[in-house]
Amino acid sequence: MTDFDAIVVGSGMSGGWSAKELCERGLKVLVLERGPEIKPERDYVDQLRPWQEKNLDRISEDEIEKHYFRQYPGVAYAVKESNKHFWVKDDEHPYETVEGTQYDWLRGYHTAGRSIMWSRQSYRMGPQDFAANKEEGVAIDWPVRYDEIKPWYDYVEEFAGIAGNNDGLEQLPDGVYQPAFELTDAEKSFKSKIETAFPGRNVIAARIAHITQVTEEQRALGRTNCQSQNRCHFGCSFKAYFSSLHATLPAAERTGNMTIVHNAIVQSLDYDPATNRVSGVRIVDAKTNEHRTYTSRLVYLNASAIASAMILLQSKSEAFPNGLANTSDQIGRNLMDHISGAGANGIMHGFDNLKVFGRRPSGGIYIPRYANITENDKPYTRGFGYQGGASPIGNAGGQLAGIGKSFKEAHKAPGPWRINIGAFGEQLPNPNNRVTLHPTKTDKWGNPQALFDVSYGENEHTMLEEARKDAVAMLEAAGCTDINSNPVNLTVPGNRIHEMGSARMGNDPSNSVLNKWCQAHDVPNLFITDGAFMTSAACQNPSISYMAFTARACDYAVKQLEENLL
Amino acid sequence: MHTRRDILQGMIVSIGGASLLSACSGAVQIVPSSAGVMRFFSDEELQLVSRVSDLIIPRTDTPGALDVNVPGFLDGLMAEWANADTQRNQHRNLRDLSMKLGRDFVELDETTAESRLASLDARAFDGRNSQYSAYRSWKGLITQAYFASEEGRLQEQEWVAVPGRWDSSVEI
Repeated sequence: MTDFDAIVVGSGMSGGWSAKELCERGLKVLVLERGPEIKPERDYVDQLRPWQEKNLDRISEDEIEKHYFRQYPGVAYAVKESNKHFWVKDDEHPYETVEGTQYDWLRGYHTAGRSIMWSRQSYRMGPQDFAANKEEGVAIDWPVRYDEIKPWYDYVEEFAGIAGNNDGLEQLPDGVYQPAFELTDAEKSFKSKIETAFPGRNVIAARIAHITQVTEEQRALGRTNCQSQNRCHFGCSFKAYFSSLHATLPAAERTGNMTIVHNAIVQSLDYDPATNRVSGVRIVDAKTNEHRTYTSRLVYLNASAIASAMILLQSKSEAFPNGLANTSDQIGRNLMDHISGAGANGIMHGFDNLKVFGRRPSGGIYIPRYANITENDKPYTRGFGYQGGASPIGNAGGQLAGIGKSFKEAHKAPGPWRINIGAFGEQLPNPNNRVTLHPTKTDKWGNPQALFDVSYGENEHTMLEEARKDAVAMLEAAGCTDINSNPVNLTVPGNRIHEMGSARMGNDPSNSVLNKWCQAHDVPNLFITDGAFMTSAACQNPSISYMAFTARACDYAVKQLEENLL
Repeated sequence: MHTRRDILQGMIVSIGGASLLSACSGAVQIVPSSAGVMRFFSDEELQLVSRVSDLIIPRTDTPGALDVNVPGFLDGLMAEWANADTQRNQHRNLRDLSMKLGRDFVELDETTAESRLASLDARAFDGRNSQYSAYRSWKGLITQAYFASEEGRLQEQEWVAVPGRWDSSVEI
């Protein structure tokens, strides 16, 4: 007899879905969250007004140096004085990199994890993304094709609430969307000029996880339409953007089947060779240092691609001396992120009589991947999409000419319209890009620190050089002036906060960790549905894919349980 | 209608110290009576920043930089947010600004001071501005501080906390 039917490790983007799906199917579920509890009514600061913020909401420079020396440089646009409790303190949660490499491990340890702080862009992977590895002979083949996952994208999008348009593009499939945030006139002009000058390229409205036409299901969870505050990195009192805390965890909670325990850092999984099953989940309490073991019939790892891999690497036994479910030696390898650091901005003319009302969240436009889809003349494989938008420059932080009344009043005018586009590209899987356990260094609970060894290859560098040139060419074609495009400054691995691939799925147990259902080949009652399962990265922001694969894996596991196959 | 002298007096009081204002050839001079009222600015720096703030963002039909205590706010910012290196750099920037504006700047009458600052501003924004980073830094801080204030944000910028909707195209 076990304590629970299922244990879900992590309450973030995918863990919330595991909890919801398993609870709604009648399983008694324990969710283990390594950080403290976040309560929106206590911990959200989205309603703080600018004049209530301390020091322009800047964290003091001494405090950054002491506590946020990796988080702040990595994601300065989102780490502020008022919301610093959403980000880990680097001195408490250290990690190491192999000499000559860099890694940004940007994290939030608390209820709902990074689903509180994400940037909410939500694009499906397309048919080409599941076929590319096989067609190009890169890494291993995905064991899944788009048609198999399509209904699960439909399912999670309807629940989550994604604002977007159906644009009829094969490489970026349509979905179940609520009304998109309308493009600005400058963006519409840009779209028209780009689609004329570059047939095969499209400019579409960003697809973002914000409610714009609330459903009854969403209303019942206390959610409502986006209020265009664009304060999302501070929480959302309207619960309008998708996060575990706004949607999946409350849905799990209302079944009466969920138990959530905070400050529970999972250290390892126990393995029973007699049954070939995970038999227990060992934790250390972050506050009391007390050790406990919980048992369950199923275990879902949703701790994030890096932490899930580390838990398995720490779970050594006679049967699995290199880490649980690691007979393939693939755990921790093929660590991927997306690549940025190439783009351009410029001034658009003819819109000076216009302004906007409201503050549109997340993004304005998206240019879906065209490289190696509609254009096949590239010196690199795979491709990238651009995120961006066009809006009035507005108050430029005092960097306008003039003094006195005219300077003061210049800030009332929206000012010229600037367009900005930045690439998000695909990183190829490479088994040498990996996270391992540091041989000697531990954190304050005695857990081995992560040791990263990740570098980008020639394809990533070449792709971004081309992305920069393409960005400039498009802004020129759109009639922009004052075009700025800095030399490519490839982001540090991890910086896009899309870690994935560290326990990839595949058909062959000798070279993959998971089967097509996110189930460990080696250990049938172990599932991993965070970014670890990704066999390749595609170039789309991945959260919506984690959600779809999680819901599908839960459906599979429950059916297996019902048929007594687990 | 308050006079500028009242405003300055109010500002000094609101940032915590007894002070004395003296009029001198039409200009208003701030002479804090006790050293150490400010946590970052020296008396001379406070006079300079106050004068520059008032000229960059004066009171119009809405409050100006001194009405919302921009100098006091920036003193707190530098004392609490900035580390020792940044504090040193910003003291140096203020010395640089004082040199460029002339040591007599805080004693100049309104018109002359405005003209001198406008001339500096024009040079700082003519596209060859590397020599004017000190001024641009403080202009940026003054402006950000002003528009972070309730008056600057609500009255001057007509900012709406919870817009409730997105309208992508509004004719001005």
